[in-house]
Amino acid sequence: MAYMRKARNSICTGLAILLSACGVNSVVVEGSYPTPNIRPFPMTLGVYFDDELKNYTYIEYTEDGKEEYAVSAGQTHITLFESVLPAMFEQVVVLNDMTAASTARVDAVFSPHIEEFQLALPQKTRLDAYEVWVKYNMQLLRPNGDYIADWIVTSYGKTPSESLRSVESGINDATVGALRDLASNFSLSFGAVPEVREWLEAQ
Amino acid sequence: MTNQRVAVSVRKWVGLHHLVMVCLMGLAGCTTTTVDQFRQGETGIESHESIVILGRRQGSTYETREEFVSCVGERVSRGSRGIRVIPEQEFIDSLFPWFEPRTAPLRTADLQTLMEEDIVADKIADYGIRYIVWVDGQTETTNRMGSISCAVGPGGGGCFGFGSWEDDSNFDARVWDVSSFSSVGTISTDSTGQSYVPAIVIPIPLLARVEANACDSLATQLQEFVIGDPQVAQ
Repeated sequence: MAYMRKARNSICTGLAILLSACGVNSVVVEGSYPTPNIRPFPMTLGVYFDDELKNYTYIEYTEDGKEEYAVSAGQTHITLFESVLPAMFEQVVVLNDMTAASTARVDAVFSPHIEEFQLALPQKTRLDAYEVWVKYNMQLLRPNGDYIADWIVTSYGKTPSESLRSVESGINDATVGALRDLASNFSLSFGAVPEVREWLEAQ
Repeated sequence: MTNQRVAVSVRKWVGLHHLVMVCLMGLAGCTTTTVDQFRQGETGIESHESIVILGRRQGSTYETREEFVSCVGERVSRGSRGIRVIPEQEFIDSLFPWFEPRTAPLRTADLQTLMEEDIVADKIADYGIRYIVWVDGQTETTNRMGSISCAVGPGGGGCFGFGSWEDDSNFDARVWDVSSFSSVGTISTDSTGQSYVPAIVIPIPLLARVEANACDSLATQLQEFVIGDPQVAQ
């Protein structure tokens, strides 16, 4: 009898885990990004992507606090920077470790970080669009680790909600739109950041 | 009631049903489209030149749908007087990051500043672009009325009811001459139409082709405007 109760409890627990696992919808953001048509800066840039960026996942919660969507946006950011940075700088060296910068013969090291990610779903906002807003902290460092510049960049993307579009597809397209916005804003405004401009002029 | 009388009664009902359907189809075909043209300069295009049609996406409440822009482009390039149209996404990707929602020129003076960038000027010259056409607008659905109920049982299922709504498409196309960095004109189209869905067992959608009509009208007028047909020039 006790064995039967134990088995029943185990089955119920298993089902509960399965049901809770079914509650979260996973979205792995995928997109392709064009190369910017701009004059490259005459410098060798080291770029360091920390694990937080590489594995970045945003969780969207329901109104009663349950996990609803898990948006994995880390790898698509790496794809974006790998497409954008080689067009912005004469040479780009990807660093596996910040300590490698001093021996990698780079002029500076760039390290992007996601500070905040916001998602607006049509079923919550009552608007006809999926919207994504991302706030970044961009850091440009000397090879020895000293700061050159530390600035904030925001990006925004949206895509209309359509009758045959899945929520996952809407989230993906809005995020890709936000990343395109980041690429356009970052590539055109990099040289205009006051500390970066001063450093570039001194080179 | 004899079998003959039942058959006559069924035939009458079917006849009435068909009559109602035909009437509704006639009504659904009623889409009203108005096209306005405002010309500010002379136009014309050589066979080696092309145009690009881009959607405005700076608005906070709506953005011009890619499908509409693509529809206008496809129709402008059609026929014996067809104009070479560069696909929107190809152009935007090729000139990245200069024509993104945040960076796209909003005035002709911005275009002139943008063309000072050699990379941009060279790409536009490579495409042979003479005119940039900015399409801005949307289709709104209003006046939703009626309801349709559907039920399924062991013996079958069916729907009964009536629904209708009105669509209103408003689009502007502003034409910029790349050679003179000036706006040469604007074409506006306003198309409205009522759609119906009567359901007597099966729902029959009788849809007004409002956006398709707006696309056709805008594209026809735009083609004539760019070619510079003297009969159309105001």
